Amino acid sequence: MHLMTALGTQVTEMVWAFFEAVDLVGQTLWQAIKPPYRFKDVIQQLYFVAVGSAPIVIFSVAFAAIVTIIEASFHMKLVIKNDALVPGFAALLILRELGPVVTALLLTSRVGAGIASEVGTMKVTEQIDALKMLGIHPIKFIVVPRFLACLIGGVLLTSLSNGICLFSAVMVSKMKLGYTTGYFLSGMRVFVEFQDFLFALVKGFFFGGIIPLMSCFYGFRCRSGAEGVGRATTKSVVSSSVAIIIVDFILSWVFSYLY
Amino acid sequence: MVLRLVEDIGGCVQFVGQVFSSVRHQKVSLHSLVDQIWNVTVQSMSTTSIAGFFVGAIMTVQFTMQIQEFGALAYLGGLATSGTIREVGPLLIAFMLSGKIGAYTSAELGTMRVTEQIDAIRCLGADPIKEIIFPRFAGIVISSFFLLGLGLVMSVWGGLFMGMFFSGINMDEYLRYIPRIVNWGSISGGLFKCFVFSVVLASICTYKGYTTRGGAKGVGRSVVQTAVASMVGIVVADWLTSFLMDVATQIYLGV
Repeated sequence: MHLMTALGTQVTEMVWAFFEAVDLVGQTLWQAIKPPYRFKDVIQQLYFVAVGSAPIVIFSVAFAAIVTIIEASFHMKLVIKNDALVPGFAALLILRELGPVVTALLLTSRVGAGIASEVGTMKVTEQIDALKMLGIHPIKFIVVPRFLACLIGGVLLTSLSNGICLFSAVMVSKMKLGYTTGYFLSGMRVFVEFQDFLFALVKGFFFGGIIPLMSCFYGFRCRSGAEGVGRATTKSVVSSSVAIIIVDFILSWVFSYLY
Repeated sequence: MVLRLVEDIGGCVQFVGQVFSSVRHQKVSLHSLVDQIWNVTVQSMSTTSIAGFFVGAIMTVQFTMQIQEFGALAYLGGLATSGTIREVGPLLIAFMLSGKIGAYTSAELGTMRVTEQIDAIRCLGADPIKEIIFPRFAGIVISSFFLLGLGLVMSVWGGLFMGMFFSGINMDEYLRYIPRIVNWGSISGGLFKCFVFSVVLASICTYKGYTTRGGAKGVGRSVVQTAVASMVGIVVADWLTSFLMDVATQIYLGV
């Protein structure tokens, strides 16, 4: 009996959480298109999202590209005994997978966790209730600017990280594998189409949308105290990374029919 | 900013040194260690397996699209598995774990620090590093190593699944080239990466959690810093281990 009660409570809670999430997404989308607009807040958040994360993204993605080239050359040598096709393959892998996903995961940990802890702190210190008292819609004031900024920032950072990734791939294949820049680029031309770049940007757009919604959802549900803030931040990071991996899988599948 | 970075790295290394020196001459309480391993494993098992499964599936889809042009689908299983185990799998699953375990541990330790529980332990005459930090450190290293291994196994299953449904090749065909392309070097390389990542993760999250200050806001800040620092650390460690593996392969092959 006790077990059934616990199970029932759990299920009810999950259903409520689901409805809350749907409500949050719907309200965010509605409030985003409804005037008055808060351009200043969006710009401010965009600075935090894009400019603030740029150094970390550039640094990490450059290293990831180096590793990709080394590993791709290893595999090529294993299967077809030479690595002349490495530029094309590595560029494809970078544009299609590595650039968008690594950028999104880094954004999750920096921006997503930042938003969740910020909103959670607001909730714990009753600033959100204060906003409601003042007649300001909390979703309009808190969620919408972050949502829009992350959408724009996701696209911008994805294109930046693709560029950096390819640049460092060119560098390492020149220094380690001995291919000239011209060879790399012409090898890339054979495989990579403009669609690849476009699809990467679409991925960045979707990932950018997931992160703030997840973080704000957990931030709003934050329980009181220092422990609650920490737990909300953890949950938001975990669920948005899992969501990003799953959405990436779905998008890759859908795009594979569009080539 | 550079100064603070260097300070952080130095502080982290010193902290890990402290953790080890605190247990050098004393008996470790096995009970709390096992407790931590159990905690971490149970919490993150589902996340890790889901992540591993999807990483394997993604890699298979991508490799299918590339290989199809050459009509070399027979190599798909071997290439996708090898690519996942050697490089993409450990990296992405470790990212996931750094969100889960790293953020959780630093939030827990930060809360302890902020609510003065750590000072209370010191008041009782016990060494907080030995009592709290070491079990967590060792627990995270041990259990995330096994969790990453589990994630890699799940990624093979995910790859196999998508190979059957997306690329339309049957199980035998998918499995046939795996033993030829994936050798013991690759597997031990992948596991070595997992070990390095788990050490990086454990040291960063315990250090950041232990040095939290400033209320609920401080806990949030240290969780964010942990997530960012451990991801950057993992990427750098990934590059280092790949480089070492490359050198080791070259020495082994005698090139």
